[in-house]
Amino acid sequence: MKTVLFIPELFLLFSCLVIFTMCINSSKGSKARNVTAVLAVINVFINLFCLKLNGDLFFAAYHVDLFSQIFKLLIGIGFAVVLLFGKELKGIRDEVRPEYYLFLTLSVLGLVMLVSSTELLTLFVALELSSYSLYLLVPMRNDETGDRSQMEAGIKYILFGVVATGVMLFGMSYLFGLTGTTYLSELVPAMHNLSSTPAAIVGLAMVMGGFFFKLGVAPFHFWVPDVYEGSSNETTAFIASVPKIAAVALLIRITSMAAPGNSTIVTLLTILSIASMFYGNLIALVQKDIKRMLGFSGIAHAGYVLLGLVTLKGTGYATAMYYIIGYMLMNLACFLVICSVSRNGENVAIDDLTGLHKRAPFLAVTLLIGMFALAGIPPFVGFMGKFMLLAGALKEGYLTLVILAALNTAISIYYYLSVVRISFCTDSEDRPAVEVDTITKVVSCALLVFIIIMGVVPAKIVAMTEAAVKVIM
Amino acid sequence: MVPLFTAEGLTSVVFMAMIGVTVVGAIIATNTERLIRAVAGLAICFIGVAALYYFLQSPFVAVMEMLIYVGAVCVTIVFAVMLADPEEGQHGKGNILAGPFSIGLGVILFWGLAALALKTEWTPAASVINNGSVVEIGKSLLTTYSMVFELISLVLLVAIIGSLVLARAGRTRTETES
Repeated sequence: MKTVLFIPELFLLFSCLVIFTMCINSSKGSKARNVTAVLAVINVFINLFCLKLNGDLFFAAYHVDLFSQIFKLLIGIGFAVVLLFGKELKGIRDEVRPEYYLFLTLSVLGLVMLVSSTELLTLFVALELSSYSLYLLVPMRNDETGDRSQMEAGIKYILFGVVATGVMLFGMSYLFGLTGTTYLSELVPAMHNLSSTPAAIVGLAMVMGGFFFKLGVAPFHFWVPDVYEGSSNETTAFIASVPKIAAVALLIRITSMAAPGNSTIVTLLTILSIASMFYGNLIALVQKDIKRMLGFSGIAHAGYVLLGLVTLKGTGYATAMYYIIGYMLMNLACFLVICSVSRNGENVAIDDLTGLHKRAPFLAVTLLIGMFALAGIPPFVGFMGKFMLLAGALKEGYLTLVILAALNTAISIYYYLSVVRISFCTDSEDRPAVEVDTITKVVSCALLVFIIIMGVVPAKIVAMTEAAVKVIM
Repeated sequence: MVPLFTAEGLTSVVFMAMIGVTVVGAIIATNTERLIRAVAGLAICFIGVAALYYFLQSPFVAVMEMLIYVGAVCVTIVFAVMLADPEEGQHGKGNILAGPFSIGLGVILFWGLAALALKTEWTPAASVINNGSVVEIGKSLLTTYSMVFELISLVLLVAIIGSLVLARAGRTRTETES
């Protein structure tokens, strides 16, 4: 039965339909949120059951395999976590909340279809579905400050996004012109034969550009700080974690088109990786707003992920995949704290975390572990991920790159730990206590457990990602 | 060299003329001060593109280009310009990327892409893949590209609901302000 292969997508479509009905009936925001959260949790379990499926759909434009199913599961988990801790959606007006959840679900559907697409046109339209929905979520925020910063962020996001898409389409036209096909299964061997021609390299680099934009790799990062700051906390939590997973999935698929040892692509990825790490980490040092800081740290982490892609080998891709899974978990843990600390959906400055260990000990511990993990301190997942990325790149002989990456890890420790210092070593100065409900606590515990387990016993997850990458090589 | 006064010669003259129309339209669209003239330039550019599709043996796509882009998109933008009354004639501050620097960059980019296009051995395109008729397009939309075809409808749904949500928010705010 081929329909079985499509069940996760069908369920998401069904969820969209349910939420759409609530939009028409102008249901209350809290009701829409509860329904969406339940649907998202069910979606996670459906994805879990569909993990082992394998097959082609829609005239081979859509391919279901272990690689795509793992990414679907991760996207589903990220979606459910964002919904569970973003319970009140403080930054969005109540009457448009059902629409907000509709766009969020449609964006997840787009991402889920993106990781399974094996044909360039399908891939493009799925990417646009997820991007358009995200572009809309940004300006839906309330205008509290009166300077319409959310509009500016929305316009910046859409303009940079459209330019990145244009570059990507132009690159796709090169790939099509060189090989005469849009199917990835035919493109990969054809591109391996052509990999030294300049047109193939330019085409590949341009197609990558579209996903570098999603991942926030320098120089495609200009949207990151403003969008992180301008959109509401829950939206930022989503944009900062879930689409990046899909972007890495697609970058793995596209870089696998470059034959191993293609020096031009390697140089390109190396330069982008170094640029992202230094740019992200150095600018993050001086940030006052914690979302902006996490934005710049996200640029730096995109640089670390490229360390895995630089090797152009299966093990490197598997470590990159492992790292982005870890990154999603640590990032969500930090955003959970931000969303809870923010009282009415306003932005949280780093100083607002003053005395957090007294005001909300639970959140303070979550923040501590999240920041330690992001900084790459053992025994958390961030350490293990960075260690494996650096060791993998070193084995392939990229010594300079490894030294620079290690240097960057050292720089980043400063700003991550200064957040921890402010939340633990200062007095609360009459700032009010933060209340945390049970669901948030459960979600946060689950995140922390995964962050620690993935850091202490990574072997199983790495074996899984390696098996997944082997499927598409 | 094809003699000018033959069927082929005249066709290539018309082809070059249409490329000219596309480029001129694009230049008008990006360089005028007034928004409404930019829209007109865009329409001219689209007409040129439609003609290029016709030369590529896709009359149906050419007709759609005229109907949707020239007919619908440009008219919608004209309505938006009429309703929104944008402030015109304001130029931003001189950016370092504007002026001679950008012209130099553009020339280098053009040279690079042109050299790339000339030096690459492209797979020879089949002169006619199918007859470009509505029947053929309908068949491929419902077989090979059925997935994309259905997915596009979702993208359009997002666009419609999204514009409604954002536009409605804008209206309520002005009412409360006034």
